[in-house]
Amino acid sequence: MNAIGERLLVRCKQQGAEDAELYLSRGTEFTVRVYKGEIESLVSAESRGIGLRTFRDHRVGFAYTSDFEAQALEQLVDEALLNGRYNHADEANVLPETLSFEPLDGLMSPALARLDPQRKIDFALEMERRAVSLDPRVRRVSDAIYSDGSGQVEIFNSRGLQASFDRTVAYGVLETIAEQDAEMQSGFAFTHGRDMDQLDLAGVVKEGVENAAGLLGARPVPTASVPVVLHPHAAAMILGVLASSFSADAVIKRRSVLAGKVGEQVAADIVTITDDARLPEGLASRPFDGEGVPAGRNQLIAAGVLNGYLHNTYTARRMRSRSTGSAVRSYKSVPEVGVSNLVLTPGELSRDALLARVDNGLHVSQLSGLNTVNPVSGEFSLGLTGHWIERGRLTKPVKELTVAGNVIALLKKVVAVASDLRFIFAGGFCGSPTILIEELPVGGL
Amino acid sequence: MPLLDQSLVDSVIKRALRSGADFVELFVERKRNQSISVEESKVQRVNSGNDLGAGLRIIHKGTVSYVYTEDLSEDGLFKTADLAAEVGRRGGGRFALGELSGTLRPPQRIEVPPDGVGPEAKIELLLEADQAARAVSGDIKQVAVGYGQSAQEVLVATSEGTRHADSRTRIRLMVHAVAERNGEIQTAMEAPGMQRGFEFFDDTSAADYARAAAERAVALLDAAPSPAGTMAVIIGNEFGGALFHEACGHGLEADFVGKGSTVFAGRIGQAVASPIVTAIDDGTLASRWGTLTVDDEGVPTRRNVLIQDGVLVSYMYDRLRAGQQSHPVTGNGRRQSYQHLPIPRMTNTFIAAGAHSVDDIVAATPRGLYAKKLGAGQVDVTTGDFVFAVTEGYLIEGGRIGQPVRGATIVGNGPRALHKIDMVANDLKLAPGTCGKEGQGVPVSVGQPTIRISQLTVGGTGVVPAGAMRP
Repeated sequence: MNAIGERLLVRCKQQGAEDAELYLSRGTEFTVRVYKGEIESLVSAESRGIGLRTFRDHRVGFAYTSDFEAQALEQLVDEALLNGRYNHADEANVLPETLSFEPLDGLMSPALARLDPQRKIDFALEMERRAVSLDPRVRRVSDAIYSDGSGQVEIFNSRGLQASFDRTVAYGVLETIAEQDAEMQSGFAFTHGRDMDQLDLAGVVKEGVENAAGLLGARPVPTASVPVVLHPHAAAMILGVLASSFSADAVIKRRSVLAGKVGEQVAADIVTITDDARLPEGLASRPFDGEGVPAGRNQLIAAGVLNGYLHNTYTARRMRSRSTGSAVRSYKSVPEVGVSNLVLTPGELSRDALLARVDNGLHVSQLSGLNTVNPVSGEFSLGLTGHWIERGRLTKPVKELTVAGNVIALLKKVVAVASDLRFIFAGGFCGSPTILIEELPVGGL
Repeated sequence: MPLLDQSLVDSVIKRALRSGADFVELFVERKRNQSISVEESKVQRVNSGNDLGAGLRIIHKGTVSYVYTEDLSEDGLFKTADLAAEVGRRGGGRFALGELSGTLRPPQRIEVPPDGVGPEAKIELLLEADQAARAVSGDIKQVAVGYGQSAQEVLVATSEGTRHADSRTRIRLMVHAVAERNGEIQTAMEAPGMQRGFEFFDDTSAADYARAAAERAVALLDAAPSPAGTMAVIIGNEFGGALFHEACGHGLEADFVGKGSTVFAGRIGQAVASPIVTAIDDGTLASRWGTLTVDDEGVPTRRNVLIQDGVLVSYMYDRLRAGQQSHPVTGNGRRQSYQHLPIPRMTNTFIAAGAHSVDDIVAATPRGLYAKKLGAGQVDVTTGDFVFAVTEGYLIEGGRIGQPVRGATIVGNGPRALHKIDMVANDLKLAPGTCGKEGQGVPVSVGQPTIRISQLTVGGTGVVPAGAMRP
């Protein structure tokens, strides 16, 4: 065990803790931002922090620090124990049973640490250069960023748990500006992987340019009731909104639209949603969760029926269930309940074949106001941007449309699921293919 | 106790300068946080934390490099300085930095440092608030109450020889009430906060805020679905200012302006709003959430008029953009923590008070939506397109406030909406919030008096054809 860990656990015992748990994280960051062929800024750093949970008489105490000086670490123990004295006693406050976990390959690329920074800078420069040469209407890039990082998580507890894993991640982020007749549109795109080699340079450029240029000339259209197709990113954002409702903690505190619905049909029968912490391409993949509980696959909605909720050790105890390995946290927080990689299972249909089913409808590429969705009632009223669909093809760009309704009602109206799974960060790492929703009232002019 | 020994500060800067940098800045930060939450009428959490770290920014010609660390020992800081010098060598362009100028004001006065108040007193406040909310109605089924405090000390030292320190103590209360009746669920929240010590609660009643949240959640149970369509919208004061902040304020930040990625770029001196609109960013207001004695680059904050009588007067700058764009600094260089580069940010941003009373505005509106309180929102900075949730809304019919409505959102374009503001009331108020940009959250105030926008798109569940209002 690491020396700091050992010292702190001993001190916790000495100060009267029955149990204790340390969560240590260390990480590196490298980010380069370029503008007009020059480096605008470079960030390079190593950082670390430690969070401590103590258990005494079923009261949990917590404190964190980024200061590793001996005195600060002693103070950390005293503070956690002191904080715990004020919390209410709850028998559900326990450390998890120590279980062994299967290692998870592919979470990290050792080559990333050896990569020459100049190659990272060149990636960002190349992204910008190509983005301004693809379409005459896109002559400027407001953001071209390459970023990578590595992180190590270590958990020690007084029940003998010693677990750690390493993860790397690399991103390319592009934001372009398209202009035409005094109108401006911005287009965002990103590519991700475990290493720079896994980034799709051509793809992110094409998407960043198309997202901006494709919306030039967008206009509102009259109010109508039409079939609505959600781009994978838009559909994944809806999943992101639903993510918090899968949390058993939200269910206990009546903050989940899915509370009391286990066994019920909450989506169309072609909808299956899984939280998969062991997905190879998932950026939120992890062998164990924030309490050291092995993390796995949890099928939450199977053929439209709600199977259950996500649990950490505390909520599992309260609801007489088992932890699903869904404790999420940083060193600055206690383990909450959250998703890892939340995936809407793709179907067989190609995206084009799905679009071909729509004679007259709306394709939504951007949803705005998702943070305004009421997580308790599931009610929403969103802004829509995208394209009109005529005879299966995307035609004129449209914007300033609104749609209102309920997340559950929306999921029940899904009539087709395509095969083109894509991921974004939205309250977790969420992935969905293109989906078709039967007629919705879309508010416009 | 100083954050860092003066001679160590000097030697770290000197070491980083060896790379031939044009400029070196050391930012040191210590932040003590405490949060307490009460849920299900029980103390769920008393948490505390200690953030300590430093960031070293070095500028070579036009390239900014930044390295941060939590290791504030001499070894750790020297290693950081060497790394900064190493990564900082790559770059071209021209060195330009706004001059660090301005008049220093005395620091915020904190009468009762919250760190010196035990958790008992804070817990008592929260339990009282919890009970007050539950007492409002049997329909209140869940209440979550939270208390948060932070004390941040910063030091900004530069190779120009300047040394600036600031300390910022913030206190916030959060109340979230859930009302439920016949399977229908509605929620409401209140979250007042100030840069003050525990004396904040001398004139702020946690129980009053809790009751207000609970009453609103219960009232929403009786609200009708909001109509949809285009109509006149009256936006309430206080947090209503979030609309201006998001849909216009960001577009006045000099980094977006410098890249031409905002519709306000190149429009100084032009009419960008209705002539009754004056908008201000003021980092000097006493005790406000976004107030700073000096910003995170050591620049004393000031009152910056952004829009005067509808005419664009100024953008908001950090030192880098002030230098690049040959403009005096404005005290808007801010960062979330030592782990972040400073960028142009708002402080306390608001639309100035006008001449009308709220009653005048309502009476002058034959029909429309009164969005008394706004909730979360989202905006595209490039276009200014926005969406905001209305958390307390009423129909306006025949110049009177009518029935409450729920589920409304307002959708539009900030720059266009600025021209459509046709009435401004005299009830200016500010509200605290956290503003996010480039992954950095900083505390700000938003604010405005009640205003009317002559025409705006409203989204709601009660979709009706254009122009037609539901009775």
